Amino acid sequence: MRREGKARVWEKHQKAIPSADEPGGNKWGFVRSCLLQAVAPFTEGIIHKVMTGKGNKGLGMDIRESAGHTSCGAIGFHGDVTMLETQMVVAARNFSMAHYDLGVDNFFCTCVTSFGNYCEIIELWEHEPELLEYTKKTLEETTGRKFWIPKVSGGRPSVVHASDVIYANIKKLAKKAEFSLDGVKATDHLGCHYSKIFPDESVGGGEFPRLLAGMIEAYGGELVDYPERRHCCGMGFRQCAIPENRGYTAACVYKKMKSLKKTDPDCKLMITNCPGCGVFLDAEQGTIAQVMGEKFDVHVMNYAQLAGLMLGYDPFKDCGFNVKYVPIEPLLDKIGMEYDKSKTQKERRRPFGP
Amino acid sequence: MGKLYDELSKDIEIKHSMYACMDCGTCTALCAAAEFYDYSPREVMDIVQSRDDEKIKELISSNKIWYCGQCLSCKQRCPRGNNPGGVILALRRLSEKTGLFAESEKGRQQLIAKRLFGDNMLKRGYTLLATNPIPSHFPELGEDWEYYHEHIKEMREWWGVPMDLENSPGCHRMVPEKDMEELRAIYKATGAVDLMNKVEEGMAKKLGGKEEVEKFWQSYQDNVDSRLYKIKEKK
Repeated sequence: MRREGKARVWEKHQKAIPSADEPGGNKWGFVRSCLLQAVAPFTEGIIHKVMTGKGNKGLGMDIRESAGHTSCGAIGFHGDVTMLETQMVVAARNFSMAHYDLGVDNFFCTCVTSFGNYCEIIELWEHEPELLEYTKKTLEETTGRKFWIPKVSGGRPSVVHASDVIYANIKKLAKKAEFSLDGVKATDHLGCHYSKIFPDESVGGGEFPRLLAGMIEAYGGELVDYPERRHCCGMGFRQCAIPENRGYTAACVYKKMKSLKKTDPDCKLMITNCPGCGVFLDAEQGTIAQVMGEKFDVHVMNYAQLAGLMLGYDPFKDCGFNVKYVPIEPLLDKIGMEYDKSKTQKERRRPFGP
Repeated sequence: MGKLYDELSKDIEIKHSMYACMDCGTCTALCAAAEFYDYSPREVMDIVQSRDDEKIKELISSNKIWYCGQCLSCKQRCPRGNNPGGVILALRRLSEKTGLFAESEKGRQQLIAKRLFGDNMLKRGYTLLATNPIPSHFPELGEDWEYYHEHIKEMREWWGVPMDLENSPGCHRMVPEKDMEELRAIYKATGAVDLMNKVEEGMAKKLGGKEEVEKFWQSYQDNVDSRLYKIKEKK
């Protein structure tokens, strides 16, 4: 009985995501992230390479975007310059373009805050028919476009995140991998807007974080749990964007890093799926070193950069490790990946001269 | 119950975020902002639940509602299914609509949020642009980030994510003008443009005119700290 109960709880935390071998899982429409394009543009480059790469270089998928899609605007929503009504109609426009202009039935977003916002909007449409009608009417009046709602997960209205798509294909990727995390300790940091706003929409929810942990284990790494694993990175929208507030961000990173170091000082790798976490968990280690004199040297990278490294993509040109505070070389040495040692650390990062 | 509460209760976020708070404080125990600031989401829920207009007015005139980092960890853990972070979103909009945001230091930062996220969206279709995280505003990103910014076009091409492509898919593309017109129409029809105008108007009223708002903005740009602008005392 106890096992049945556990199985039932686990079942509740599962999420259907079509893999590349399942119907529709090889052709996706997607929307981009304004945070990634501003602070970590190489991430969208490596997502694209891993998803579309042929043979052992990727999943060989057909992923499409329309030139006219826009940001979902959720950074402006959580930054208090738009209304929820605005978000609904902008989301409906992006969905409509994916289906009617690109001819796709499956849809993912590369930003975790877009994911959370789309989930919120879809739930509101489900619960409040008048908001659905408002959206359809306003979309038609402002853009002349027809409404469409994606049903990606299990045939019900839903969207997925790019990291979900990678997770659905993780066994395949691990088989193709040229490198592994064998002997490497690693932990995960799920974006709050992936796992906490609508836990049922994420793999394992906030309670049983499985998405990135599953990736770490698939590549042969040793997963490390620590007390502040679920604490926010502190990105905080207006908290990170406005420099005078950024102490908030640094304090959150400090709390997490201290907790990880105390639990397992050998764990020097943290995998993320949210654009903000990927940047600030790394960059604020620099602030902390300067202000507190304490160094952590934890490599922070997102799921696509990790997949890129495992598949043997170039750590700098393809994965973009040029602009991290914590230098990537010690990890490359650990996994046995070669890089140009005739160049200095600075030269490796600066392809266009000093 | 008063006018402010009536206005607040019209917000969709309130309807879906505020059920019956039992004051247990779970939200406050796990809140990232409560640890860093003198802030308590439990207190915020308590004030809204009281429906007391005086208390709501004091709250939306203060720094407190701007401390939340919108991680929404509270939503996941509330045993009653409340969403204090969602209540904050509604309070912030009420603060902007009534102009009371301009009464607090953190509230006045909304001019920066509006001119960054809001104006970017209306001009380019993105809340953030490649040219926003400049090294002087993000010194922690380090020297390599400075190098990247000095070679922004070449670096992005080298990474395989060229910027500002026209009539093409891609990262940081130029969204075609006909699509921008659709987006602007949505922002106008759904009240986002009005909300952004309220921020500019509220700042002008507080600082003593549009020229002062520009001085506030310029001071922030030059000093990377909005607090260095001094508000003139009214005679």
